[in-house]
Amino acid sequence: MSALDTKFATVEVVRRGLKDVGYIATTQIAHTVYLAYHLGKPVLVEGPAGGGKTELAKAAALFMGVPLIRLQCYEGLDESKALYEWKYGKQLLYTQLLKDKLDRVIEGETGLAESIEKLHQYDDIFFSPQFLEPRPLLKALQEKDGAVLLVDEVDKSDDEFEAFLLEILSDFQVSIPEIGTIEATSKPFVFLTSNSTRELGEALRRRCLHLYISFPEQALEREIVMTRVPGISERLTRQLVSFIHQVRKLDIKKLPSVSETIDWAKTLVILHAETLDKDMVRETLNTFLKAQEDIRVTEEKLYALTEHAIREAN
Amino acid sequence: MDRTLENFITALRRSGVRISVAETMDALRAADLSGYGDRLLLKDFLSASLAKSMPEKEIFEVCFSRFFALDYITGEDFLLENEGLPPTLQGEAPLTQIFMSGDVGGLAMALRAAGERADIRSIQSWTQKGLFMQRLFQELGLEGLNRDIRTLAEIGGQDAVNQVKALKSMRDNLMERVRNLVERQLELYAAQRQYELSEGYIRNARLSALDERDLARIHKIIQRMVKHLKDRYSRRAKAARRGHLDFRKTFRKSITYGGLPFDTHWKSKKIDRPEIVVICDVSRSVSNIVRFFLLILYSLNEVISRIRSFVFCTNLVDVSPLFETHPLPEALAMLRSGAGIPILLSRTDYGGSLLDFRNQYSDCLTKKATVIILGDARNNYAEPHTEVLRMISERCKRLIWLNPETPSLWGSGDSEMKKYLPYCSIARECSTLRHLERVVEYLLRVHNR
Ligand SMILES: Nc1ncnc2c1ncn2[C@@H]1O[C@H](COP(=O)(O)OP(=O)(O)O)[C@@H](O)[C@H]1O
Ligand SMILES: [Mg+2]
Repeated sequence: MSALDTKFATVEVVRRGLKDVGYIATTQIAHTVYLAYHLGKPVLVEGPAGGGKTELAKAAALFMGVPLIRLQCYEGLDESKALYEWKYGKQLLYTQLLKDKLDRVIEGETGLAESIEKLHQYDDIFFSPQFLEPRPLLKALQEKDGAVLLVDEVDKSDDEFEAFLLEILSDFQVSIPEIGTIEATSKPFVFLTSNSTRELGEALRRRCLHLYISFPEQALEREIVMTRVPGISERLTRQLVSFIHQVRKLDIKKLPSVSETIDWAKTLVILHAETLDKDMVRETLNTFLKAQEDIRVTEEKLYALTEHAIREAN
Repeated sequence: MDRTLENFITALRRSGVRISVAETMDALRAADLSGYGDRLLLKDFLSASLAKSMPEKEIFEVCFSRFFALDYITGEDFLLENEGLPPTLQGEAPLTQIFMSGDVGGLAMALRAAGERADIRSIQSWTQKGLFMQRLFQELGLEGLNRDIRTLAEIGGQDAVNQVKALKSMRDNLMERVRNLVERQLELYAAQRQYELSEGYIRNARLSALDERDLARIHKIIQRMVKHLKDRYSRRAKAARRGHLDFRKTFRKSITYGGLPFDTHWKSKKIDRPEIVVICDVSRSVSNIVRFFLLILYSLNEVISRIRSFVFCTNLVDVSPLFETHPLPEALAMLRSGAGIPILLSRTDYGGSLLDFRNQYSDCLTKKATVIILGDARNNYAEPHTEVLRMISERCKRLIWLNPETPSLWGSGDSEMKKYLPYCSIARECSTLRHLERVVEYLLRVHNR
């Protein structure tokens, strides 16, 4: 049994391991991570923003003791930014340094066309591994002892990029025309995250295991707050988590996420709050509500919400 | 393969979850890892390997609880006060035996088996509740139990009276349980129906399978889809991109400047609105999807520079003027009724229609145009005239074929799809709203490459 296999011996070991690096996993999260490791499959993680998708990949890397390689997706992301790129600065620099040599190469050729033709035979020199800049995907394949590859917010990329990604996730190898094929010695553990701004392709979904992270239950969210906000009292944690859960039931545009709960908790600790009180809540609403309209709707019910949170926490 | 899992996957498929062979294999390995003992573990494992989107997860939830409901009923509640009851009956019914021996596991198994035999998962309506309860009672052998109770009552004596009382209370308890079980199955069925009316379902269902009742909802979804695409692509058109340095070109040009990379060349992308030529088969098998496709395309006219549209069946007709002179809903309605359109709707003729296109309209083929053909390529064994398709593909920027059939049917029977394929830049299955959305998105996106 390899060292990693021991870390994935049981679901409970995985869950505890994640917790040790500060990630509080639901049973479902622990189950899925465990399964993904044993089946050797990528995991596609979806769910509301700020719900711990990115954090899960980071925690997994820490827990496994392997490097985290992150590919942040955006519109227009292409192979040269994701896989590899030629170091054109270096290429240009070298043509300068080697100018004399190049001059000699084209010596005797009078016409421009002939010179170019002649040079053409040499440009392969500039397309060798020394001039290759590996980007996240290639880096992940090159990590000898494995890595966690995080393809973050894949919904922001284009669907050709998705198709290309799918190829890499199927073969774990790439071929670079000028150099040859590079194959992963140790398959990386892959997480893809999506905020569902665009529907991902069927093929990519089918290739991955799927995990949906929704808002955690109160007990779990309290645990998250306690690990992320050192020094916070249990009572305050209970109250503020209860408050947030009530807010999530309101009819507002943008529901507060886990990371916003944490932001609020941090703010309250800085303000030395011992317990929730209406004024303090009102002044700090903007740490977890961003839309003016949402703040207004919540303010209207502030009294009842706070009372309820305090009562529920006791 | 594991029978339970096989049946479960069939149930999922029937409810609209698409599952590939590879995913079936994943599920199999997952179930091997989890076993069937821990229900939550099994559920999470199967959900991760089989349900790959929110809509699919919703269906999965319903199916899983419905499917495995019978497996996890425990008999504990039934067997309360039977301890110390001396067996006074000979040759009792199986249910009586189970009750008298306090065999919890046996009762759970009997209930599960009865549920299977009564096919309780097929219940669909409140009116069937009584029927299914009767079936379950029958399968459980309730009659035998009742007979034993009667016999005991006739025997008389304190022991027998106590026993009759205990058995009756357990029987009532069981009947209550059966009723709950049936109601639970019904609720699950209702939940599933509810889901079938939801957006996720409609997006993923074959458009040919949806009926007129869903039309209003489909239109709503399309509206939202169009708005989303518009926002996205009008924004995008504004964002000019610089691109990357083209080293080879720069390097070669540098000769002119004594080796100095003076004149840099960039591989950049120009933003341009697409020009589209659509050619649609409107024979009955495809007409639904054509309607929605045209609706989407024409609704996007702000982000598309020009659309030419043709429909064909036995012959081919230019319908662009229709869309230029009438409001969109009206044009679509006219197209649907065929009023005023000189189209023959007898035998579908791809070859003939392609010839029509070549002879009358090949002037609309330019290097800027993307040509989209929508149809099943079922040509009734007539001449396919692939050479016309080749000509089209050579004279346009890109040729896309959208086929409402799934790829495994392409080329079967009278489908000429395999013969047309070599001339298509891409060919995709297109039978659901989701497919349509992806195609249009692709169109807008790749246009500038
Ligand atoms: N389960 C969790 N355990 C610990 N911290 C969490 C958890 N979920 C969310 N967080 C906190 O919330 C923050 C935001 O999470 P993140 O992974 O960036 O969200 P997402 O990628 O889903 O938008 C993290 O930095 C982390 O502090
Ligand atoms: Mg994130």
